[in-house]
Amino acid sequence: MADAIALPQNPPLSISSRFLRLLPGVALLAVIGLAGKFLEKNINLCAKSHHWIIPNIEYVLWAILIGLAISNTIGVAGIFKHGIATCEFWLRAGIVLLGSRFLLGDLAKLGGVSLLLVFIEISGSLVFMTFLGRLFGLRPKLTSLLAVGSAVCGVSAIIAAQGAIDAEDEDSSFAIAAILALGAISLFVFPLIGHALHLSDHAYGAWAGLAVDNTAEATAAGALYSDSAAKLAVLVKTTRNALIGFVVLAYAIYYAPRGQARVVANKAAFLWQKFPKFVLGFLLVSILATVGFFTNDQNASLANLSRWAFLLTFAGVGLRTNFREMRRQGLRPFVVGFVGEIAIAAFTLVLVIGADQLFHL
Amino acid sequence: MITENTRPAANSSPRLTLDEWAVLLALAAAILIRFGVIHRIPW
Repeated sequence: MADAIALPQNPPLSISSRFLRLLPGVALLAVIGLAGKFLEKNINLCAKSHHWIIPNIEYVLWAILIGLAISNTIGVAGIFKHGIATCEFWLRAGIVLLGSRFLLGDLAKLGGVSLLLVFIEISGSLVFMTFLGRLFGLRPKLTSLLAVGSAVCGVSAIIAAQGAIDAEDEDSSFAIAAILALGAISLFVFPLIGHALHLSDHAYGAWAGLAVDNTAEATAAGALYSDSAAKLAVLVKTTRNALIGFVVLAYAIYYAPRGQARVVANKAAFLWQKFPKFVLGFLLVSILATVGFFTNDQNASLANLSRWAFLLTFAGVGLRTNFREMRRQGLRPFVVGFVGEIAIAAFTLVLVIGADQLFHL
Repeated sequence: MITENTRPAANSSPRLTLDEWAVLLALAAAILIRFGVIHRIPW
């Protein structure tokens, strides 16, 4: 091979070294999360004792704000990076454990409605984002990545699609930066709109699950409203995540005949590979909770463990959001993402209000 | 045209993904709670 370059080989790390390098970052996530919990409790106590009327700011928002402040001022030292990247891991473990709060009957009712909403949202978003990308003259694969990211599930979908359609690394960085920046903005805007429109917990949760693209941000946006809203946001978002394989497969099939992507020989294996396994874990725990495998106290412990896992995730959401780095990625993908997200948020809001009237979410 | 089958089998040993590790950890925690090894998780 003429263009083979001999790269310096780093010796493979042992399991213990790989584990040890996660510790500083995980410790930082824990410290920020605990600081968020501390601030929520003590600011409320202080306000009560002084008879101040201030809005109750949840630990979720404190953890995100502290993370954002660190990331965008002093920055995050390299030693913490591997551990901070585990926030997706904690998110998935938290969702599996959250299954204990859903009985199968609820899942059948809410899951059926959310599947219908998700189908409409995904189809509408894919069509609209593709149209916008073409209108703004973005490269076709960047447009596809933005469409997949905003229609299905943010960063995971973009990474899955990038591999399947052989997109450039640069395109996926653009798309990921746009989705993360818009996710961070939605954390502040969605609860305000939800309260202004007096949305019920379930309607708001369904909206957050449908319109916020990244799972961590969707969970956080739900938790900023109420526990019940967070539960529904996770359910709807998980339904979107479950469809990731089908959407990515459709894109691979579209690009392959044009010689721009691999031919998918075994479609079933492809779907299984792309299917997020935490959805199965979530369903399994939900089945176990439904058949009475856990006592009420044990269910409460599982739900609390899920909240601890989410606490680490929320700290990571702020820490990994660096607006300066995102600005460097260029403006046009953001404009397309921004216009698209506003349209999708408005469309899904109407959808959810309609579904709430019809099915009493 | 590139096909899936032309990709080199760089690593044949099955390695768990982040997703699968998260599921395993959560299920292990659920089992420990169920069988009383962990009594109570406070919040």
